[in-house]
Amino acid sequence: MALLEARGVVGGYGEADILHGVDLDADAGEIVVIVGPNGAGKSTLMKAVAGLVRVRAGAIVFGGEPIADAPAERMIQRGLAYVPQERNVFPSLTVEENLALGAHARPAETGAGMARVLALFPDLAAKRRVAAGRLSGGQRQMVAIGRALMLKPRLIMLDEPSAGLSPKFCALIFERVQAIARDGVAVLMVEQNARPALAIADRGVVLAMGRNRATAPGPALLADPAIGRLFLGG
Amino acid sequence: MEQAALYLATMLTLAGIYAALALGLNLQWGLTGLMNFGGLGFVAMGAYTAALLTAPASASHLGGFGWPWWAAWPLAAFAGVALALPIGAIALRLRADYLAVATIGIAEIVRLAVRNEDWLTGGPLGVPGIPRPFEALGLPWGQVAYLALVAAVVAGLFALAQATARSPFGRALRAVRDDEEAAKAVGKNPARLRLQAFLLGAAFMGLGGAMLSAFFKFMGPEALDPVTTTFLVWVMLIAGGSGNNTGAVLGAVAVWAVWAATDWLAAQLPGELATRAAYVRLFLIGLALQVILLARPQGLIGERIGQR
Amino acid sequence: MESLANFYLIPGLVLGAIYAMSATGLSLIYGVMGFAHFAHGELLAFGAYAALVAVRGLGISPWAAIPLAIAATTPLAWAADRAFYARLRRSLPAVLLISSFATALMIRAVLYLGFGPTPLSYGTGIVPPLVWAGFRMQQRHASIILGATAAALSLHLLLSRSRAGRAMRAMADDPDLARITGVNVDAVIRLTWAVAAALAATAGVFLGIDTELQPVMGFNVLLASFAAAILGGIGRPWGSALGGLILGLAEELSSYPLLDGTPLLSPAYKTGVAFAVLVVMLIVRPQGLFRGMG
Repeated sequence: MALLEARGVVGGYGEADILHGVDLDADAGEIVVIVGPNGAGKSTLMKAVAGLVRVRAGAIVFGGEPIADAPAERMIQRGLAYVPQERNVFPSLTVEENLALGAHARPAETGAGMARVLALFPDLAAKRRVAAGRLSGGQRQMVAIGRALMLKPRLIMLDEPSAGLSPKFCALIFERVQAIARDGVAVLMVEQNARPALAIADRGVVLAMGRNRATAPGPALLADPAIGRLFLGG
Repeated sequence: MEQAALYLATMLTLAGIYAALALGLNLQWGLTGLMNFGGLGFVAMGAYTAALLTAPASASHLGGFGWPWWAAWPLAAFAGVALALPIGAIALRLRADYLAVATIGIAEIVRLAVRNEDWLTGGPLGVPGIPRPFEALGLPWGQVAYLALVAAVVAGLFALAQATARSPFGRALRAVRDDEEAAKAVGKNPARLRLQAFLLGAAFMGLGGAMLSAFFKFMGPEALDPVTTTFLVWVMLIAGGSGNNTGAVLGAVAVWAVWAATDWLAAQLPGELATRAAYVRLFLIGLALQVILLARPQGLIGERIGQR
Repeated sequence: MESLANFYLIPGLVLGAIYAMSATGLSLIYGVMGFAHFAHGELLAFGAYAALVAVRGLGISPWAAIPLAIAATTPLAWAADRAFYARLRRSLPAVLLISSFATALMIRAVLYLGFGPTPLSYGTGIVPPLVWAGFRMQQRHASIILGATAAALSLHLLLSRSRAGRAMRAMADDPDLARITGVNVDAVIRLTWAVAAALAATAGVFLGIDTELQPVMGFNVLLASFAAAILGGIGRPWGSALGGLILGLAEELSSYPLLDGTPLLSPAYKTGVAFAVLVVMLIVRPQGLFRGMG
């Protein structure tokens, strides 16, 4: 049984459903990339897993426990971390305080977590006392991902981690994502920047109009001309 | 029997004056989303303007000038506007809660000025001897005629408020209230629209003040209490349904009926208990407001107060 | 010069300290919960009367009654939050503001019922002032300034050094992000009320010691506190504290007889000074005097 198993997820904001029965699997150490056109429900699916979107039907099982409709603030305790696309750092808090908040639920692990995160993102060490609001977009993304890693999650979800970043930072983030997965963490990513993301994906999931369209290893999806024409912009 | 009719006329007159205030607040808050917690300031401007213009000459305050009411009341409405203009020009660009604080502050300054500028307002002694329209008819017909006048004014204000709400101007106000960015995108000028609504509402309150001073035949600092002049009006509007003019009028009449009835009940209590009853009433206004907000935020009728 | 310090500067600092404590709490509530808490003045008055009950019942000094005042006011804030504000958490800030206003009326009514409208005092009697080279300072003024300084230091330590304080600042920055980061939002809200109520209750006792107790005593402080919070940039506790000090000094100094013995401004208008400052601020610098999370 996979670490994360979502089956037939139906849900959305308010009255209108955006997801109409979506399946999703992720295993430990695996990079799963969700792609699809705008409005396909990619971010909504991720938020449903994170407990931020009401799930009206279907099941989400994480590590053998059902988590659909569990409160978002308890997810981190279960080993499930979520990094939103925008507004993902506390701007008036320093880098160090941002990271420490990642271990808020289990403060005893702050020191160990901080050491791990700074080893993964050495650039942050020099910025420890700088307010996160003053960082560049790429550094902010590192703080956000680092904060999510503080308590050694079993699954980390990244909503468009490369959005708005320079190609250099994009490459760095994708390279770090692979390093995170090598540590045995399952990585779930939504990406507009589909081609480079699928290139590193163990599993690519194509969504359209709130339904699964295809699931296959990332490189295989990239090689499929039908998928390329329909969903990856030619 | 005549006594009861007179009492009823008195109560209805006050209910009508409150309806004018609630209609003014509805233009500001209900239609435009402007939090004016300083109703007292605008009412005071209107009340004192009308009082000084219509009262007979006196050494204890400015004037009076002995004008007829029909000449003084429009100027009373204008006095409300005159106070609203600088506040609006400054505070309407800012967040709703800043306006709430600023308007309370202005109302307090007006209250201080009324109390301390003896040469103008008579200070604590106030302005006595304000003539009430039609009082020459004697009782009870004078009272009834004044009620008819107030009712006519309120009907006019109601028609004006309805026309405003339904006009393109009113639609633009609601658009600005609900989504300022979208309204800007279609070429509305939110600052200007807000200011216009604020001024119009202040004019209603100024006129309400004029009717109040003529009704009391006296105006002094004690006649203007924040609880009854500002906050009771909020309860009326929220109970009736903010955003809805009919709701504002109904809320004013219904809440005033409850208020007056408890006042009458309290007066039947012996000495010490009667003063305490006033505090129980204060508690009950607060509680009523909470219950309405929790159980029926849209009021008796009318537009819903939006959810975030 | 000495009379300036004795009769204007020191009273100004005392009043400013009281405003600062009240404004800081308002600012914290605004930061964490996003609404202007209009019942804050009544929390202050409630604290002052709670201390009065302790002073009369136990025969202790009002200073010693401060912890009891805090212990009585904090549950009141929690109860108001639970009964009213928590249920309106998803509503517009304006709705919460009106609700807090209603709470204010209810608390004020309870104080009127319990203690009547006549001013009361703790009856601390007359204590000789501290005198030093022509400068005189009432002992109570010295204690209030010291007490407020201690409160400011404790708050600083709480916010900057403690895990709970960090969570509070995180909530003020971004409540949704705080939630998914695993911050217990309800716990932070409870702590915020406790801190704000403690500051308000202490300020209330200070005000009661310095002047007298009245059920409406909080209302005047509330207006000045809002002005102070806006002056300092609402949502920023330190800016608000400084704003409070500035307003307290401005109010007292406004009646200083600078020219030929007549006050700059008639003392009757003293309470209007806060608004004059506020209005000027709103025109020239609506984002507040200070930048950043001061």
